[in-house]
Amino acid sequence: MSERSALLSGIGIARSYGATPALRGVDLAVGAGEIVAVTGPSGCGKSTLLHCLAGILRTDSGTVTYRDQDIGLWSEAARSRLRRTEFGVLFQFGQLVPELTAVENVALPLLLAGSGRREARQVAAEWLDRLGVGELAEQRPGAMSGGQQQRCATARALVTQPRVLFADEPTGALDALTGEQVLGEIVRVVREQGTSVVLITHEASVAAYADREIVLRDGVLDPTGLGLGVGR
Amino acid sequence: MSTAHVLLGLLAGGPRHGYDLKRAHDERLPRAKPLAYGQVYATLSRLERDGFVAESGQDRDGGPDRTSYELTDEGRGHLAAWLAAVDPPAPYVNSEIFNKVTVALLAAGIEQARDYLVAQRAAHMGRMRELTMAKSAPGASLGDVIAADYAIGHLEADLRWLQTTLARVAAMTTELPKDVTT
Amino acid sequence: MRPATLARLAVAGNRTDTLRTILTALSALLATVAMLAAATVLTITGWAERYTNPLLIEPGLRPGVSATLILVALPVLALAGQCIRLGAPARDRRLAAIRLAGATPRESVLIATAETAVASLLGSVAGLVAYLVARKVIDRPALPTDILPPAPVIVLLVLLVPVLAAAAGAVLMRQVIVTPLGVERRIRTRGPRPWPGLLIAAGIVLFAVPTRLPEHINLSKNWVYAFLGSGVMLTMVGIVLGTGWISSTAGRLLRRYGRGPATLLAGQRLITDPWNGSRTMAALLAAVIAGAVALAYRELLATEFRYYDIYNAMMGSTDGGGMGAAEAPEFYYGAIRLVVVAVSLASVVAAAGVLIALAESIVARRRTYAALTAAGVPRRTLSAAVAWQTLTPLIPALVLALAAGDALVRLIDSEIPVGYEFRDCVAAGYGGCEAPRHPEMAQILHVPIPWGSLALLGGGALLAVLVAVGAGLLVLRASTDLDELRAG
Repeated sequence: MSERSALLSGIGIARSYGATPALRGVDLAVGAGEIVAVTGPSGCGKSTLLHCLAGILRTDSGTVTYRDQDIGLWSEAARSRLRRTEFGVLFQFGQLVPELTAVENVALPLLLAGSGRREARQVAAEWLDRLGVGELAEQRPGAMSGGQQQRCATARALVTQPRVLFADEPTGALDALTGEQVLGEIVRVVREQGTSVVLITHEASVAAYADREIVLRDGVLDPTGLGLGVGR
Repeated sequence: MSTAHVLLGLLAGGPRHGYDLKRAHDERLPRAKPLAYGQVYATLSRLERDGFVAESGQDRDGGPDRTSYELTDEGRGHLAAWLAAVDPPAPYVNSEIFNKVTVALLAAGIEQARDYLVAQRAAHMGRMRELTMAKSAPGASLGDVIAADYAIGHLEADLRWLQTTLARVAAMTTELPKDVTT
Repeated sequence: MRPATLARLAVAGNRTDTLRTILTALSALLATVAMLAAATVLTITGWAERYTNPLLIEPGLRPGVSATLILVALPVLALAGQCIRLGAPARDRRLAAIRLAGATPRESVLIATAETAVASLLGSVAGLVAYLVARKVIDRPALPTDILPPAPVIVLLVLLVPVLAAAAGAVLMRQVIVTPLGVERRIRTRGPRPWPGLLIAAGIVLFAVPTRLPEHINLSKNWVYAFLGSGVMLTMVGIVLGTGWISSTAGRLLRRYGRGPATLLAGQRLITDPWNGSRTMAALLAAVIAGAVALAYRELLATEFRYYDIYNAMMGSTDGGGMGAAEAPEFYYGAIRLVVVAVSLASVVAAAGVLIALAESIVARRRTYAALTAAGVPRRTLSAAVAWQTLTPLIPALVLALAAGDALVRLIDSEIPVGYEFRDCVAAGYGGCEAPRHPEMAQILHVPIPWGSLALLGGGALLAVLVAVGAGLLVLRASTDLDELRAG
């Protein structure tokens, strides 16, 4: 993926938590419609990378460029708005508001963006249908199975038709079969929409859904994927 | 012996002739190495000799050799016994990859084995992507999905083992004093 | 974000949030009614002979009635403030999830603030309705149901509680950074300092100003009330905030001198979250201070009546004439009894607040408790730890509240000399002095400290908290079910 055609790119991304470095200069480019898997052992910095790329965390150094704009320079509010228009976020669990029903959860980004309640609910219901959980529209997340929750969360992440979906272990809390079904569904829909995906996972079988894979180790890219020659 | 059991299993549904058996085999076990005709007939004659199958008739309209076979009672019993028998789980560790990596690490050291390992990992990932694509393709049959799952599971296990082994070797070499390793 | 969306997100909540909304609304209602009543009393002008109650007839007594009503409103307001933190963990999760969905930081603060403001607005509007209905229903000459405060004042009072609540909520939210990944509370690295002691001192000084001014400076009545009122307010705030320092000090002492796991757990908990006591006990401490003020004032009045009796006896007027208060002592005692009843009511409300806050803090930490239980810590030890961590800071804070309340009133007068002025006058040979019949009765009357009733008040508050702790321990029992470890 050349720099010019990249939709989203990070250059030299570094980020520490206190004295502990999580990322020590990572380069990454995601093209339009491309699914990129980020893998690596626990604590390698994959989630931090995703949070930096999605504008949830600010980088300590390095730049995150989306459509030729350095979003690191944007305000917190502007990056929040980006998350409800151009980006979708999907986590392992916990991104649904437990007090709202499925359809309200899915409608939330639209409502925050200023849509009317009726049209937002209608669009949300369509997305729930599309992910096969249309009949759960009035349920709260607590009453759903893990797989159903992730389908709702996927609907919410995609309801604004984002250009990039950030998925952090989206099936990590699900059993193998449910996880595969949900992942298959996500991949099917993003391929239809032409959405780019940054997919964080520690499982090779999940990474196999992506077009391309990068491996992180100790906060840097591991081009060998096996930790060979890293840190020497 | 496994091919024989698969043929017995395919005959359990009713009499079939050799060509039919080969097609059914390739269809039900899509990711297995396809059967050769010769192998089908050799296996069938061996099964007939042992009394597990018997000729049940001849097709007139077909090509040269259209003998169909059916399962005997003895064959049915043999099949049931095979299905009931528990396979000894991994009695020997034996695989090309295992042998190669072990030899590379022991004989050549990580530095020399590096290119091979990286290439092998890339090949594994590539194959996994292919299989994933195949099984998520619209219209993939249950046989396709099951077979792809089996292969993906094994490839993933290979990768995990490779990873763990490298980490283990790295940990051991850093524990040792420098002058011993060099 | 449309207002409708804001409203929907502001009222989204689980059972704890509903409880918080109800409690916030309820305390807003009570506070609004009390303040409206106070304003009504202040609206009466001149000698109002149309009422049957002298407290309302005399212009000199009415500000005192209003002040009392406001004094009662203070603990209720404190309860409203206390409610803001209720259900915080669940709300934090909700806010983080909303942020993740693309809400800006300002919007998330707006949602959190709107939650509180909407609840208290509902409450204060309900309070206005209750007040208007009550004055129609009661309509007796005993009460001023014939007049209304001016409309702007009514609007102001109805809006006051929501605005205060929203402001308090916004200030509390400043301590909180809602990130899409969760809520971080800005960590105070230093423990609480005893600086709220300065607030108490400032409160006492303010309260003392009108009573210790030189003779020639005449403050208007409003200024006097402003000084006294703000003095009481500052003292209350100082004691509530000072509970933080008391908690962390008590925690350190418990850890140093405590034997056994219960005191260790309680001590560590107090050091880690010293402000928990301030949050749970705010309303109760405010009520106790108000009560102590009332009781001390009763003692001061009693001393004044004794002064009149002695004076009259000394001057030889035994026929019931001579100096005295405008009304029979029973009238004033009755008025004070009313104050004490009001304070007791406020204390009951506050004790309910303690129970809720305590239950909430246990539920919020249920995983820790369940994990401790799973690790083999007996429930008895956990119960003891909860009791220690509640009562250790409470007892010194209660003593401080009682002492401060009494001290405030003692600033007005702690001893009243009787008869010396005449003896001195006669001895100096000035003319015009009436010679006392019994000069030997001249003495200094000391205003006694009402140990008994103060102890009763403190004991009552302690008992209320003990009941609350007992009920809280039942919650703990449910919370230490090992199922809680599995709850997401």
